Amino acid sequence: MAGSWRNWSGSIAFAPRRIECPRDEEALCALVASACADGRTLRVVGAGHSSSDIVRCDDTLVSLSHFKGIVSADRAACEATVRAGSTLADLGRDLYTHDLAMPNYGDVATQTIGGAVGTGTHGTGPALQNLSQMLLAVTLVDGQGRLRHIGRDDVQALRAARVALGTLGIFISMTLKLVPTFDVERREYAIAADAALAQLEELEHGNRSFDFYWYPRRDDIKLRLVNPVFGGTRPRHARELMRHTGYGHLVIPTHSGIPHRFEESEYALPAEQGPACFRAVRERVLQRWRRVVGWRVLYRTLAADDADLSPAHGRDTVTISLHQNSTLPWREFFADIEPIFLAHGGRPHWAKKHTRRAAELAPLYPRWSQFHRVRREFDPQGVFMTPSMRELLEVPA
Amino acid sequence: MTAIGRRHWAISAGWIPARATGREPEFSSHDVLCVLNTGARHANVRIDVVYAAHGPVGPYRLVVAPLRVRRVRVNDLIFPEAVRLEEAYGLTLDCDEPVVVQFGRQDTRQRENAGCMAVAWSG
Repeated sequence: MAGSWRNWSGSIAFAPRRIECPRDEEALCALVASACADGRTLRVVGAGHSSSDIVRCDDTLVSLSHFKGIVSADRAACEATVRAGSTLADLGRDLYTHDLAMPNYGDVATQTIGGAVGTGTHGTGPALQNLSQMLLAVTLVDGQGRLRHIGRDDVQALRAARVALGTLGIFISMTLKLVPTFDVERREYAIAADAALAQLEELEHGNRSFDFYWYPRRDDIKLRLVNPVFGGTRPRHARELMRHTGYGHLVIPTHSGIPHRFEESEYALPAEQGPACFRAVRERVLQRWRRVVGWRVLYRTLAADDADLSPAHGRDTVTISLHQNSTLPWREFFADIEPIFLAHGGRPHWAKKHTRRAAELAPLYPRWSQFHRVRREFDPQGVFMTPSMRELLEVPA
Repeated sequence: MTAIGRRHWAISAGWIPARATGREPEFSSHDVLCVLNTGARHANVRIDVVYAAHGPVGPYRLVVAPLRVRRVRVNDLIFPEAVRLEEAYGLTLDCDEPVVVQFGRQDTRQRENAGCMAVAWSG
């Protein structure tokens, strides 16, 4: 089926030669094998929430809309095998029936689990890793159309698979490390920016999940704390805006279904660079961008991991995200702030706006070449390497 | 209390300075919209922004509860699009209940703050 495709915000739009929704593994294998035999390219698409070019494909775009739901769940081991096309919102609801939960969520839960793991999507919390770290094992269709399994003991392949941007193959089912269902209390506060920054360390390390929105039009901050009920810190000089409790999968994601389109750029910084980088971003926005930027800047924390291409690879991390209405200038805004992120050792979020290319990205990732060794083993002919992916991942000779 | 006011309002003198002096958000330069609902039903307000140099943007929506007043900084209206600072703009308000609309400005570009308040034009 030919057609056009656009992402959630509308900034990524293209017309693939065909869009396929295979109904089973056999059909999926046949699609990839055919692309491989003909020397064509193929990309799998998740929920379309991402706003980077990683999904752009002129040939075959594959949807996993028929690969949803839980395959099996083991309450005692806190593990479940799930199909890769399941959305995080659906998984939260379905895992709850098995008394299981994902340990964390981002702000939205509209993404598919395959897309979220493949791009290093994350929530916030200094002891919480990005969602890819849940992956214990995966069954996928490789670049030659063969069904492959990466088991939990295959450490090298797992490190590559955890943030693989769909370049190892098309994930079909994924075994995830989970936690028992938990309930939390969300509290939000309004506070002056300087008052929040003065107690930043206490906020970061005294709460399960802490993040803040900074509002450029008011130079003030909304603190958001998620903790076990009655846990966490009480911020000083802050006005409580709301408080509610509930299960994690219902309380942690807050913006699913937001009707207004926006663009987003995010960098992951070494944790110790976070405060200085935020101050530099704040100063630049106040000085140059307040006139057309009303959307917030989001500051989050993330624990280190060892996935080859994870933006949090090898270092505890602070992420800073810029947001802008999709109808207002965003390219110029993001391009003006990006050098500040880079000067503080930033790595871009793979699924959001940035201008980095392979030659600039490779030095940021110590296991870049190990990743590519695994990638070439799973996709020797580059079926999943579209021109956009080559720009992103292939360093020119 | 008998509902006082009109259903259609316009403001033509919008212009928000981007710079501010003093601690924010208290001393942010801003325009503010004050909507009074003296009636017994919720007032659903639709706001559209008209610019001198760009096409109109909207709708922005507010609800004012019965016997309540709502003060909203125009600077804080960001859905569907942040209102542009330092650009001439006007507002139209259409409401399903009679309301009273006033419009104010705090300009803190200089340490000696300036402020003004006016009743919007009712149609």
